[in-house]
Amino acid sequence: MMACRMLRPEKLEEWLAELLRSERRLIAPQRQGEDVVFQPVQTVDDITLDYINTRWPVKAWFFPPSEPVLRYRYQGSGVELEQPNMALEPRVIFGVRPCDAAGLAILDQVFNSDGEDEFYTRRRTMTTIVGLSCTHPAASCFCTSVGLSPTASAGSDLLLTPMGDAGYLVETLTARGEQLLWEYGHYFAAGECRSKEAVTEAAEARMSRQAALAQGIELSERLFEHPIWAEVARKCLGCGVCAYVCPTCHCFDIVDDSDAWGGVRCRNWDSCGFSLFTRHASGHNPRPQQDSRYRQRVLHKFSYFPQRWGRLMCVGCGRCVTNCPVNMDIYATAQAVLQVQGVKHET
Amino acid sequence: MSDDNWRPQIVAFVCQWCTYAGADLAGTSRIKYDPNVRIVKLPCSGRIGPLFLLKAFEQGADGVLVSGCHPGDCHYVSGNLLARRRFTVFRELLIFLGLEPERLQFSWVSAAEAVKWTEVVDAVTAQIRALGPRRQGWGAEARLQTSNSKAQSLEAQPGTRNLKPGTQKAVEEGIRRIARQLLQTGEAGVIVGYGNGTLKDVTTPLFVTEPEGVEQLVWNERCLNNLSVYLTREPVTRLGRVGIVAKGCDARALVALLQEHQIERDKVTIIGVQCAGMAENGRLAARCAVCDVHTPPLYDHLVEDRALDTGDWAEGDPRDREIAALEALTPAERWAYWQEQFARCIRCYACRAVCPLCYCETCIADKTQPQWVPPAFDARGNLSWNIVRAFHQAGRCIGCDECARVCPAHIRLDLINRKLALLIRDAYGYRAGYDATVAPPLTTFRPEDRAEFIR
Ligand code: SF4
Ligand code: SF4
Ligand code: SF4
Ligand code: SF4
Ligand code: SF4
Repeated sequence: MMACRMLRPEKLEEWLAELLRSERRLIAPQRQGEDVVFQPVQTVDDITLDYINTRWPVKAWFFPPSEPVLRYRYQGSGVELEQPNMALEPRVIFGVRPCDAAGLAILDQVFNSDGEDEFYTRRRTMTTIVGLSCTHPAASCFCTSVGLSPTASAGSDLLLTPMGDAGYLVETLTARGEQLLWEYGHYFAAGECRSKEAVTEAAEARMSRQAALAQGIELSERLFEHPIWAEVARKCLGCGVCAYVCPTCHCFDIVDDSDAWGGVRCRNWDSCGFSLFTRHASGHNPRPQQDSRYRQRVLHKFSYFPQRWGRLMCVGCGRCVTNCPVNMDIYATAQAVLQVQGVKHET
Repeated sequence: MSDDNWRPQIVAFVCQWCTYAGADLAGTSRIKYDPNVRIVKLPCSGRIGPLFLLKAFEQGADGVLVSGCHPGDCHYVSGNLLARRRFTVFRELLIFLGLEPERLQFSWVSAAEAVKWTEVVDAVTAQIRALGPRRQGWGAEARLQTSNSKAQSLEAQPGTRNLKPGTQKAVEEGIRRIARQLLQTGEAGVIVGYGNGTLKDVTTPLFVTEPEGVEQLVWNERCLNNLSVYLTREPVTRLGRVGIVAKGCDARALVALLQEHQIERDKVTIIGVQCAGMAENGRLAARCAVCDVHTPPLYDHLVEDRALDTGDWAEGDPRDREIAALEALTPAERWAYWQEQFARCIRCYACRAVCPLCYCETCIADKTQPQWVPPAFDARGNLSWNIVRAFHQAGRCIGCDECARVCPAHIRLDLINRKLALLIRDAYGYRAGYDATVAPPLTTFRPEDRAEFIR
């Protein structure tokens, strides 16, 4: 059952201030130079609501760029092992945009596929996500093209949608969200449950990217071998930007960072754009150039993942588009590939 | 230091012919001196690469001492003279990043100078003991920790000037005309130029192989990419002989690539473009404020910008004030500043990917046997990566600022590059990307090169 409440504009700050005083750790968007990033909050004044989206997706708070899975020290002829400290205080992350929250829903599937990833899942269960709907998407945003919307609720525990002067419509989506709402119920006015449809429509109308990509790409041998990959990937320089700014990319590498005394086995982000990603110990590389690497990126998101999990692995946040050094654009590529596949789509 | 029992760990890298023999003589002569130095013997100071020094710091050394034969005495003729330049630049780089100069010291000690060796060791040890243990960021305890130091923030020093667009449309026509001609005559199989990007205000690298395609080539103040990076990329060069659109700064990269024998002059046609300056965030890009290559230093065809006016652009690079502000800080403050910057690095290696001079088949950061750059994205690994990147570009970087532009974490790589470029200009009278016939500064030496810091 979905319940909804309203949060008056003036109550938002009060609520955040009380959250900050609680035993939960409050993480919220704050300015860092020219960017807005999620940071633990020191004072409520540091929180900003003036952002289209944060520089980095929220995933790093669950799947950090580099994390220890094991520490070791050489002791005499043996090795002393130490498990990383997984103690974690409960957290609230406020202000997560619908695309990034949907990215978490995708990561939830991945990190719980063959057994449970304790590092990821522990952080997930200790964290309540308070989503914040978008009213003014960026020119690079295309969530509606991939089946989401600026007010989509997937992945959020609570979702706030700005309804103008009336304040925020609050949707309670999970038990964790329910709990938070119950604890701070006095900030939220019960009452008439208003529809967010008008807000959604207005936000969607502001989106310039509206192709139909949600059906994904149907894989065929012809498509896999098609020259389009070499063509679109020619300018790709093979960095890690697109994967590292992506809310859904989840590839990692486990390596030992060691020296004479011991080391740390760490799990680092990795990217299919790097040549090292698939290079075998023998030196052979089954993806010898950028065309096959970029094809992997696109097909993983638009074909392989949907085949296995029934949904795209792109949430349309547009970060890879705006941060790519050479303006590789996955939205444009997906359209071009669909065209090759013979699918009509609107632009 | 309040703790009298604290003993610094100092690593000495010495050459086998002079300093090691000198240290050996000190031992056999039973001269007493400070025992805190561990010696690593190498054939020649020319083999004491900066990476070794970095490794020592990384693994927790409180200080590093480097020593070899006196200039003129090298057993391999010039190993120490080449090393002297590398040491100079590497030392300045680390000082710019906030290392206390006392922690990285150099000396010339001959096989006969047993006494000098002991004096050097005693003096270096005393200085490092006075400083205390190394800073956060190095050593095993820095593993998987990120810096949480609050850095002194630099006062933003944006350039004040707005852009003065030249006659962009005419330039664009000029580029298209030459491109068409090159493709029609078969002089070029592919034109590497700029096209419109998929977002407003963004251009994108464009590869044109048919004469009809040249209409997609564009020219405006958003043509930021340094396209010369593609000259060493097989997926592009396989399309045929390359004709490349080059701004002045891009042409400097072409000069550097020629100098380093990465491209052949007669296999590329350069469409040089007179450039009035590029825009970043609506403002003239910092490097353009001091540009002296509005007309490229190297081209086969030149597209002129008749409105090009660079007359009153003499107020300097705004970053020089930022560099001066950083240098006015204490080493500890500077260290905190850069630790905070590098803490944001996510090792995406975009800085490497866009750099026309990062053409190595396998980057040292990707080498695993041995693992030169610590793989964890932490204070220590990020520091090492950024030091290695900067040092490998020293004397080679042509200042296109592409690395800084694309860094998703907005790390001020441009300040580091420029600091090193200014240092090399002042010390060796060299600026990268102007003359393909001279040797790059760190591959050569002059007997009279100065290095007063060497004991
Ligand atoms: S698509 Fe862009 S961001 Fe991704 S690897 Fe290629 S150049 Fe880098
Ligand atoms: S692929 Fe690009 S647009 Fe899609 S979710 Fe990832 S970063 Fe966002
Ligand atoms: S540095 Fe010079 S050539 Fe390069 S973009 Fe700026 S003005 Fe143009
Ligand atoms: S581009 Fe920036 S974040 Fe990426 S590796 Fe380079 S310095 Fe680090
Ligand atoms: S180091 Fe940076 S500024 Fe220098 S040439 Fe490479 S990309 Fe350009």
